[in-house]
Amino acid sequence: METYDSLLLGFSVALRPDVLWYAFLGCLVGTLVGMLPGIGPLAGISILLPLTFGLDATKAIVMLAGIYYGSQYGGSTTSILLRIPGEAASVMTCIDGNAMARKGRAGAALCIAAVGSFIAGTFGVIVLTLVAPPLATFALRFGPPEYAALLVLGLIFLAYMSTTSLVRTLLMAAFGLLLGTIGIDVMTGHFRYSFNIAELGDGIGIVPVAVGLFGLGELLATPSRQVTSEVMRPKLRELWPNRQEWRDAAMPIARGSALGFLIGIIPGSAHIISSFMSYALEKRISKHPEEFGKGAVAGVAGPESANNAASTGAFVPMLALGIPTGPVTAVLIAALLIHGVPPGPTLVNDHPNVFWGFVASMYVGNLMLLALNLPLVGVFVNLLRVPYAYLYPLIIMFCVIGVYEVNHSIVDVWIMLIMGVVGYGLKKFDLDPAPLVLGLVIAPLFEMSLRQSLIMSNGNWTIFFQRPIAAVLLAICAALLMLAAWTALRKRRDWRSKLAAAEAGENT
Amino acid sequence: MILRADHVAGGAFIAFGVLVFAISGDLPFGRLSAPSAGMMPKLVTGLMMLLAGLVIIGAAGSREFAEIEWSDGGHAALLVVITAAAVAMYQPLGFLITMTLLVFALLVVVERRNVWHAAAYSIGLTLFAYWLFGKALKSPLERGLLWF
Repeated sequence: METYDSLLLGFSVALRPDVLWYAFLGCLVGTLVGMLPGIGPLAGISILLPLTFGLDATKAIVMLAGIYYGSQYGGSTTSILLRIPGEAASVMTCIDGNAMARKGRAGAALCIAAVGSFIAGTFGVIVLTLVAPPLATFALRFGPPEYAALLVLGLIFLAYMSTTSLVRTLLMAAFGLLLGTIGIDVMTGHFRYSFNIAELGDGIGIVPVAVGLFGLGELLATPSRQVTSEVMRPKLRELWPNRQEWRDAAMPIARGSALGFLIGIIPGSAHIISSFMSYALEKRISKHPEEFGKGAVAGVAGPESANNAASTGAFVPMLALGIPTGPVTAVLIAALLIHGVPPGPTLVNDHPNVFWGFVASMYVGNLMLLALNLPLVGVFVNLLRVPYAYLYPLIIMFCVIGVYEVNHSIVDVWIMLIMGVVGYGLKKFDLDPAPLVLGLVIAPLFEMSLRQSLIMSNGNWTIFFQRPIAAVLLAICAALLMLAAWTALRKRRDWRSKLAAAEAGENT
Repeated sequence: MILRADHVAGGAFIAFGVLVFAISGDLPFGRLSAPSAGMMPKLVTGLMMLLAGLVIIGAAGSREFAEIEWSDGGHAALLVVITAAAVAMYQPLGFLITMTLLVFALLVVVERRNVWHAAAYSIGLTLFAYWLFGKALKSPLERGLLWF
């Protein structure tokens, strides 16, 4: 009953015309961000973060979250019509979505993707409504040792779920943690690695790093000659799937929604992993696995539902624990902090308008996306025809403005440029930059928790094993490390290596 | 021995770690019961170097360094140089001049587009961004020389 009343409060916030307008704007921009190859949700949110500075926290988070889950919808359009994933989570949709399009069923594929995304997104929000508040209450029992253990678990989980090796992922996370130590040490006042640059006293911001690595870095590695703009254009009357296609899509949507949400709450690039897992599951249980790769409806419905449910699931630890499960939620946390609203266990009680307004806006946002994505698909397709050579100068301009406007600091723009070059280099050496961003974000909280724990225990490391919650979390870390070592020793080609192959463009 | 990508990547991170240790001399580590400003950076740098060492040890499975595709290097270098010039000019010249020049240079120098098309596009785009950020969103943009 309490949840019901709180949700009513949320709807009273989310249905205000001004909040609705920003939810719509977020969904629209998210759809475009998802469609355009080269700008993922992370770069999109980071670049557009300064646009929210004049807004209150509720409108800001509603708009930015709209960009995130809107991008999951938009990514499917590019995958189906161009066989290019507009964003990484749509990689699996390329295979059967584009095959359906080649058979003249592009409209049906787009419709199934949109309806599947809507159902999964709505399912995710319902579960989020039920799960996040009790989890936040439980998290109130967490002290510094529990937080330190939870953050270690987050990093180990991310490394375990990663498609690159565990060691490489942890290497990038350690690099991110190191970058996160730059600036004034809040406990002693020491300047660390700031080289007499006043702006570095506040540390390296997440926005310049994220925009550099994922925005600029991507553009540096993508010369315009490599980008195609031949697009199929579905007609509106072809959008409705036939009865058999609906029947084939129903169960994969249900399975994808449940699977996606579960994977979403686990740290890692959940929306990418969930779409792969859903595709693999559908192929395994299908009566006609030979149809996969040739236009199987389940190959579109499952992964598209899974990635949407996962992006909603990722909000659970973000809102309830204040812990990011990936770089996108890390930027969203930074956005909330900029607006003076710390996410975490106290969010539900201290800022009920923000929390419940945000949750309610996602119900509305999913409806908006369905309304946007189906009738307007023809309009969006025209955008894909803009030559990339004219598109990327615009993106670079937005990167510079976006980063500069956060703090009005030219140092931040230089950091973005340096990070762009670093991102380009990491790509060449097959190093994933996502753990770097995650490490950077959690560094201050991790350092504070670790040092507070040691001070509490008078320098006794065993404090992490004496407290039950922390001990359980660290035991899970140990189990994951052993599992990873076991897989490496047996040199098994598990789902992570298959996902890596799929991301590289090989058929699974 | 064949030089592999992971040898170079791991080596670069170890060298970076050595550099970090070299400039961390004045940061006190403290004691376990009273950790100080240097504890976290030094622990993390040590961990990073250890992991980089493991990457080098497992490098046999990685690509040969010579196989890495650098054909996009020229494009990347041009983009970096032009963007760096724009960043350097941004505060003195202001938003309107810098952004127009940035987009124009990218289209003409990198993409070899028609000069007049590029000029029209860059001016139009910059004016749109000026309206969006400066007027619609009331975000204070750098004015520079022109003072508007």
